[in-house]
Amino acid sequence: MVSRPGAGQLTATVSTKRPGPASAGPGRRGKLASHARRLLRGRSVGGLIGKPIFWILLVLFILVPCASSLLLTISPHLFDQQAPGQGPQWFTLTYLRQAFTGATAIAITNSLWVSGAAAGLGLVIGFPIAWLTNRTTLPGRQFVFPSMWLILLLPSWLPALSWVRIVQVDGVIYKLGLNWPWLSHLIMGPFGVVLLLGLRSVPFTYLAITAGLAGLGQEFEDAARVHGASRAATLRLIWPMLAPAIWSALAINFAEAISDFGVAATLAYQSNFTLATYQLYADISNFPPSFPSASAMGVLLVAAVAIPLALQARALRGRSYQMLSGRTRQAVRRRLTTRGKITAMSGLGLFYFVSLAVPAFGAVSTSLLKNFGSSFSISFANYRALFHQADQLGPLYRSLAYGAIAATVTVAGGLIAAWLLAQRRQKSSRLLDFLLLAAVALPGVVFAAGYIFTFNLPIMSRLGINLYQTATLLVIAYIAASLPTNARVLVGPVSQLQPSLRDAARAHGAGEMLAWARGVLPILSRPLLMAWLLTFTGVFLELPISQLLYAPNNPPLSVAIEDNLSNYATNFGVGMAQSVFAAAIAMAAVGVVLGGYRLLAPAGWRRIGVASRG
Amino acid sequence: MAESISIDAVSKEYPGGNLALKDVSLVVEPGSFVVLLGPSGSGKTTLLRCLAGIERLTSGKITIGATAVAHDQLHIPPDKRNLSMVFQDYALWPHLRVRENVAFALRRSKLAKPDARARTQAMLERVGLGQLADRYPNELSGGEQQRVALARALVAGTGLILCDEPLSNLDADLRERMRVEISALVRESGATAVYITHDQAEAFALADQIGLLQDGRLVQFGRPEQIYTEPATPFVARFTGLSGELAVRVAGQDAASADSTVEIGHDGSALLRPCRARTSASWASGGEGMLLVRPTGIHLGGITAGDHHLTGTVADVAFRGRGYEHAIDISGHGRLTGVFAPFRAQRGDTVGLRLDPAGCHVFPVAARDHAATANGQAAATNGHAAASNGHAATVPLSDVGPEFAPPAQQH
Repeated sequence: MVSRPGAGQLTATVSTKRPGPASAGPGRRGKLASHARRLLRGRSVGGLIGKPIFWILLVLFILVPCASSLLLTISPHLFDQQAPGQGPQWFTLTYLRQAFTGATAIAITNSLWVSGAAAGLGLVIGFPIAWLTNRTTLPGRQFVFPSMWLILLLPSWLPALSWVRIVQVDGVIYKLGLNWPWLSHLIMGPFGVVLLLGLRSVPFTYLAITAGLAGLGQEFEDAARVHGASRAATLRLIWPMLAPAIWSALAINFAEAISDFGVAATLAYQSNFTLATYQLYADISNFPPSFPSASAMGVLLVAAVAIPLALQARALRGRSYQMLSGRTRQAVRRRLTTRGKITAMSGLGLFYFVSLAVPAFGAVSTSLLKNFGSSFSISFANYRALFHQADQLGPLYRSLAYGAIAATVTVAGGLIAAWLLAQRRQKSSRLLDFLLLAAVALPGVVFAAGYIFTFNLPIMSRLGINLYQTATLLVIAYIAASLPTNARVLVGPVSQLQPSLRDAARAHGAGEMLAWARGVLPILSRPLLMAWLLTFTGVFLELPISQLLYAPNNPPLSVAIEDNLSNYATNFGVGMAQSVFAAAIAMAAVGVVLGGYRLLAPAGWRRIGVASRG
Repeated sequence: MAESISIDAVSKEYPGGNLALKDVSLVVEPGSFVVLLGPSGSGKTTLLRCLAGIERLTSGKITIGATAVAHDQLHIPPDKRNLSMVFQDYALWPHLRVRENVAFALRRSKLAKPDARARTQAMLERVGLGQLADRYPNELSGGEQQRVALARALVAGTGLILCDEPLSNLDADLRERMRVEISALVRESGATAVYITHDQAEAFALADQIGLLQDGRLVQFGRPEQIYTEPATPFVARFTGLSGELAVRVAGQDAASADSTVEIGHDGSALLRPCRARTSASWASGGEGMLLVRPTGIHLGGITAGDHHLTGTVADVAFRGRGYEHAIDISGHGRLTGVFAPFRAQRGDTVGLRLDPAGCHVFPVAARDHAATANGQAAATNGHAAASNGHAATVPLSDVGPEFAPPAQQH
């Protein structure tokens, strides 16, 4: 028999691995070692330690603030030490009851009907735009998608302020000699609020309906036509298949409108039309503050957000709209007639005029008016002041840094959360799902209020967590507020990842980190980049959290702009110049990051993104 | 009432210049079951969609019954063509119940509601789904969804039923059962059926007539037996199942023979002795050709009897229940696959192969794969296949179509 050279070595190796005398018996060290091996079985040390840390951070920075923002209204004594005089009760419904009376009741009623109307308006405008761009030969349809993102990226307070400056009694239109008080009255009131919130809802509707239309294959229409349905009958048959998209658009529109702070703090406030989010802010920032009342408003806002979600669930209960096709045939675009094209493009033009052109004109023109007041003379004085006055650029740099840090940490955390969410079988992932969903529904101003309640507690000090009124807490709040949305955005691409991609890298010799970096990250690079941009632009111009949590003497950009704008006599123009400059910086940052990705990312990474978009 | 179909010189060009159908002509008799067979991209789906009215013709004419439904200046929309269709993905509307999906096809019948309801229920009972009428499509299995789609196509009693690869999403066992059901139900309805598939076994099992498409052209139209025994082109032969191919030289053509056979010599080929093969071409002595061998055209045996045409080595053997299929390497000439024998020959054994003229077809080496006649019409295999000319790459023995077992195979 021929002996193989490796055989002896193999035997020797195996024999050295046998347990030696020290570990042969069931001694204490042996037990500990086997216990450790059991714990570590199939897991890396990083995963073992990282997961509990992730959960601790999640509980501390999302669950506790959310819970305390809602709990305070029924148990003010819990928080009495941080702001004495809030109430001695361990349990009371007084503040909740009070929320249904007086100014609070008016504010929540206003918010409810305005949000409902805005959600409807968003659907009425967004649905045809989605249909036209996805199902017809509308010229220039390729520009609709990026423009919708542009509307989403700009904070709601920016167009609202621009509109105010254009139509208010001494505003731009009056300087231009247009004496239109009817327009001032129309915009500076509920109609204007509904209009602006409705226009802001259009991108959400557009994205939801576009997704619905993408799944609605041509064969469903063909089947109807072949079996005798006319064009009109086919439309009647098909449109209920978009019900999930329509309900989802309505729910998102409503939730976004009712939790909006930008329009509430600008146009609505200046029109003496109080909305719930502003009332909550006022309860905290007025002296003396009434935390339990603010908390009661938070409870009502969260309950209000639940309304459309419940309606959606009820409407779709027991029905499946799952498209059965795995090989959906791409829909045929309808050729628009010349008249159809003119009508469609006019409508689209009007939408862009009201939602982008007018606010851009308002902001730019106001920033170019010298000493906004008597005459209409163009000047760059406000921009000069912006670059030369002390501490006008500081907030810009600060917010750029906050945005970059928050976006980077959020995307990393969002990826971990999305990865945990994708492990559907585990109970912890279902808990995480619920927690993140609840946090998404929580308006920013309620979230920020929760941070004040929580991190102002004496127990935090005793635990050595002295974060209240620091920039660190502000950035943590940005991260915590963005993480739920981020995780939701990333869970789709992460769920679609074939586990075999990572396994293949591991099987071929890559370690855990290398397997992720080589096998998984390139595929996720585009979604990660989009998530980063979404967080960065959101944080860069974020208002409610910044307003409630900024560190004294270190205001972020949005707070500095608000301060300038509120100093109407001297700094209004500088504030507007700052807004215009900030919006330009935000857009430039998006351009630089996307352009950089296009230029620098390996060709293979970019191909993946393109393929998945197609 | 069953409808006849006349497709006359139909072409279809998609935007971007993709010519999906090229001058296709075809006549379908009322009440017949026609299967359009071809690989992906051959134009069969486009032809079916043109028939349905979902696609517009670029040129040509389609007549259903006595009515022209499409030509250069005319396009009757799908809902006015009075036909029905089974879609590849079933296209069941997910928000409608099974009953509502099926009843939808009765709208144009203008039946009274109770009548429509009764007819729907009867059709659902017929396809075995009477108990599931109130379910939604997502609550059904793949096979049940398929039955709903079939019921919807049958319920209105239209004279023409179109089927777009309806079995392609089902697993093998269910596919066979559904094939039998479709065949029975459609024939029972008396309607004319046009059915498309890329699966030659499915086509042979279902069809009264088969139309074979390649690159947008109809290359042969005829009964399944004719397609199998008299393939008009090497493509038709390859697509309907071969054991392999062999470069040969024709020794002479038997002019007296009724079935156009040729004598093939052994010069320059793997053949040890001359054999006979079918042909549709005229041959001069010494002409070079490709011998395309069906699995039915090879008999495996030993080499001692000395009546074999080829010898080879068993490369692989697979048990197929009723016997064994072998892959045989012909030294220097590639491999023959699907060689059936009731006994197992061992791997590595040297075996003798006898060729049966009924399963051997010889084409000129330069035979063009499109068996187009001068006017572009398909070769109608009514006993005389179209003449082939043009060119094709000479391929040594290959393993095309090993899995296809034709209906007439006997061992």
